[in-house]
Amino acid sequence: MTAYLAHFLVMVGIYAILALSLNLLIGYSGIFSLAHAAIYGIGAYASALAALKLGVGFWGGMAIAAGVGAFASALVAIPSLRVAGDYYVVASFGLQVVMLAVFMNWTDLTNGHAGLPGIPRPKLFGWVIDQPFEYVFLAAAFAVLTWAICRRLTHSAFGRVLQAIRDDEIAAQAMGKNVVLVKIVIACISSALGAMAGSLYAHYITYINPSSFALHESIFIATLVILGGSERLAGPIVGAFVLLAIPEALKFLAIPDTVAAPMRQIIYGALLIIFMLVRPEGILGRARARAQ
Amino acid sequence: MRTILSAFFTFALLAGSSAATAQPGPIKIGAILPLTGSGASYGVWMKGGAEMAAEEINAAGGIAGRKLEVIYEDHAADASKAVNAMRRLVEVEKVPFSLTSYSAPTLAIQPIAVQNKVVIMNGGGQSDNLANKDYLYNNIPVVSNEVGVIADWLAKEKKLASAVLIVANDEAGRNAAKTFRERYGAAGGKVLAEEQVALDATDFRAQLAKVKARGGDLLFISSYGRNVAIIADQARELGITLPMAGTSWILVPEVMKSKGAEGILTTRLPFDPNSAFAKKFKDKYKTDAGFFAVQYYSATMIFAKAAQEAIKKSGGALNGEGVKNAIESIRAFDTISGKLVFQANHGAVMDIEVGTLKGGKVEVEKIIKAAP
Amino acid sequence: MDLFLQLAATGLVVGSLYVLCALGWGLIYGTTLHFHVAHGAVFTLAAYFAYAGQKLLGLPLAVAVIGAIVAAAVSGMLIDLFIYQPLERRGAIRTTLFIASLGLLTLIENLLAIIFTPDPLRMDVGWLADAVQLGPVFLTRLHLVSMTTAILLFLALMVFLKHSRWGQAIRAVSSSPEMARTVGIDLRRVHLLTYAVGSAISAPAGILIAMDVGVEPYRGTTFVLLASVAVIMGGIGSIPGALLGALFLALLENLGVWKIPSEWQSTISFGVFLVFIVVRPRGFFGRKIQSAEI
Repeated sequence: MTAYLAHFLVMVGIYAILALSLNLLIGYSGIFSLAHAAIYGIGAYASALAALKLGVGFWGGMAIAAGVGAFASALVAIPSLRVAGDYYVVASFGLQVVMLAVFMNWTDLTNGHAGLPGIPRPKLFGWVIDQPFEYVFLAAAFAVLTWAICRRLTHSAFGRVLQAIRDDEIAAQAMGKNVVLVKIVIACISSALGAMAGSLYAHYITYINPSSFALHESIFIATLVILGGSERLAGPIVGAFVLLAIPEALKFLAIPDTVAAPMRQIIYGALLIIFMLVRPEGILGRARARAQ
Repeated sequence: MRTILSAFFTFALLAGSSAATAQPGPIKIGAILPLTGSGASYGVWMKGGAEMAAEEINAAGGIAGRKLEVIYEDHAADASKAVNAMRRLVEVEKVPFSLTSYSAPTLAIQPIAVQNKVVIMNGGGQSDNLANKDYLYNNIPVVSNEVGVIADWLAKEKKLASAVLIVANDEAGRNAAKTFRERYGAAGGKVLAEEQVALDATDFRAQLAKVKARGGDLLFISSYGRNVAIIADQARELGITLPMAGTSWILVPEVMKSKGAEGILTTRLPFDPNSAFAKKFKDKYKTDAGFFAVQYYSATMIFAKAAQEAIKKSGGALNGEGVKNAIESIRAFDTISGKLVFQANHGAVMDIEVGTLKGGKVEVEKIIKAAP
Repeated sequence: MDLFLQLAATGLVVGSLYVLCALGWGLIYGTTLHFHVAHGAVFTLAAYFAYAGQKLLGLPLAVAVIGAIVAAAVSGMLIDLFIYQPLERRGAIRTTLFIASLGLLTLIENLLAIIFTPDPLRMDVGWLADAVQLGPVFLTRLHLVSMTTAILLFLALMVFLKHSRWGQAIRAVSSSPEMARTVGIDLRRVHLLTYAVGSAISAPAGILIAMDVGVEPYRGTTFVLLASVAVIMGGIGSIPGALLGALFLALLENLGVWKIPSEWQSTISFGVFLVFIVVRPRGFFGRKIQSAEI
């Protein structure tokens, strides 16, 4: 049972990183991405493959993961962020579909649906981190690091430009800011951090396959951000804690798993609708009337 | 440091789990099965078989006086769900043993089994990669035995010289296809084309149109579960008149009832639909028993035997290592389908039958005896 | 060559489903500017309504189908009335509306998974399921019904928008909501009507899937996002554009399989989409969405 609580806390840490990094897009830049699970998966696969095939271990794997994640994101961001927000939603969904197909079908590399077993645990100064509660500290350390990076970013001059773009893109452009470049940079940073979470996950579970990185996972991460509150940095962390606790609570209700999994999703969906109806502006920042 | 942390977490959880203290309660084992999804029909058989075995064991006084309790988990053919289920079984339920099924899920949980010294027994998955794995026992032959038999039979006796393949893009489907290419090639056959399909897809027309264009004498379906029925139906609908073939895992109710799959050539592993077991299964679950029901009944019985032995040896305690040692020392188990001997590769050998699916039944043409 | 014709025919069959979905979604998007992903749920609901009507209530096929289309139209209206309109009254931004829509999609899909299981459920269509051979091409009768339905509903929609009073109101709102308001058109009522028409047009696509290969609860998400790709490519606000965009995608996906391995089929559309928005962000016909509109 202690192992179970530790497992819960590790997952909270990993999802907190995912939510914090996605919040750089949703909360601070007004860009809605449906591809964060793909980025998470890219990180997990890059790191796992680097460790299994190149033998670089956890730390090298994580560095490679962050680089590959940022690169993949740039590929999509450069064409689609030049145009309007709705395009990015669809383009990011495209990235999600394409990456899932890559995980699934590039079998020589990813082993397809069968996945990659036996991913090594991280080592720190020769000490293998293999106990769940040790991993809690590792995940927490990375969550804090991510939080610090996000705080640094959003409180810098760069962060103010971001918010200016989110609130009024035309005005920001008129002020001589390179809006497209700023957006692409933030998309890359967000993805590098998200990919890092993937690396943490892969080396923790020690097994990955494509189904952990499907579309519903992207929607789930976005839900963490939105329900937690995207205006504050702590919001996504709270979101991760609360939303991950829901399925754990459902386990005590002795509902069969076939019902429990959709039940979880139903609760998330209902929460999204209720939050949007009850206090949309409290979640996504100041009330901004539709530009009509 | 570790003990302090453990103590802390134990304390934090005391409120939630008052019954966590160890007391000689029932022996809990896991069963990670395809209870939903395209292979749910296998799940009905597997779960039913294990359930019947557990009931019989408990009615006869349990294992060394302790009741046997099976905890069922669903993997829905998805290995990551199997991993989560396995972690729960190992970390929360502390099982010494779990039944498992399907190739990819079993391969995914095997490292966890080794790490935690928990024995897993697979009665359904057939990938060749399942052989020779620590803490994993298969009371079923790997698929290469069956694929080898049918590839030979198709090429040499049925004189079907060239084949096109539809392959499920998972561990089991791809592994069977790989063996088919090798053995069919060695027997003089030629594989003209191969198209991969997703196990949970429902529309295979593009893939079928592509293999149809390559001609050939035979369509070999290297897939399993419900989707074989859909593939067969859509193949006929697209005007593919070639004979079709598969291995024993296509024998689920959906396929046996489907119009398109009528006449499909297939292997079968020994199963007697008129046995006492099959009758009892039918009475209890109101559905016909299949091969996999016997498999999981037997696997549960094998566990009971090994656990009894392990408890005798240790003088009371039961853990995965003890079960493993007991299986290794007993090796030959009497099951309702005959004697089962675990081979050096941790697998089993069985007679393999080949025949044609007609009117919902396999008409056996030939039996290839297992090497003694 | 036979393979090419067969793939083209399969492409047209799949295309007719994409067309129906894209027409409905595109009409709603072009008129209300709501990024209505829950349209995917409405279209799946229609399929389950029809399935339940035939299999659980034992209604004749035609009655079940018509009932399901009406039910889908009502569902679309209810979503606008109880979710989108309250949100708009509070001055919600478009992202808020999109998130609520996403929530609704998740909610309905999973509710269906609990009620009907995640397995595909197929309706009985009797002799419609029989194969027909047209030269080298094999299809089922149902596939011919799909294509006919798509053509007829497209024509009906064009006539409705051009020649009926309500259709003209929809067009007025679509081209300029402010102008429509000043000439006394009630935007809310036009939105409601748009949801009814849009949902009713897409409903047959879901039902046809239930008849052909069976309906699954999570089918709608991919369909609605493919529809959005088709609409953006065809040009937002253009009904013929949506038709062409949808057919283009379906043919591309199916003919693409001719030369590339079929497991990559699902990625073709989105790969092309990424190229497309770089080259021609306006679509084939129609207007470009500016960031400032959001």
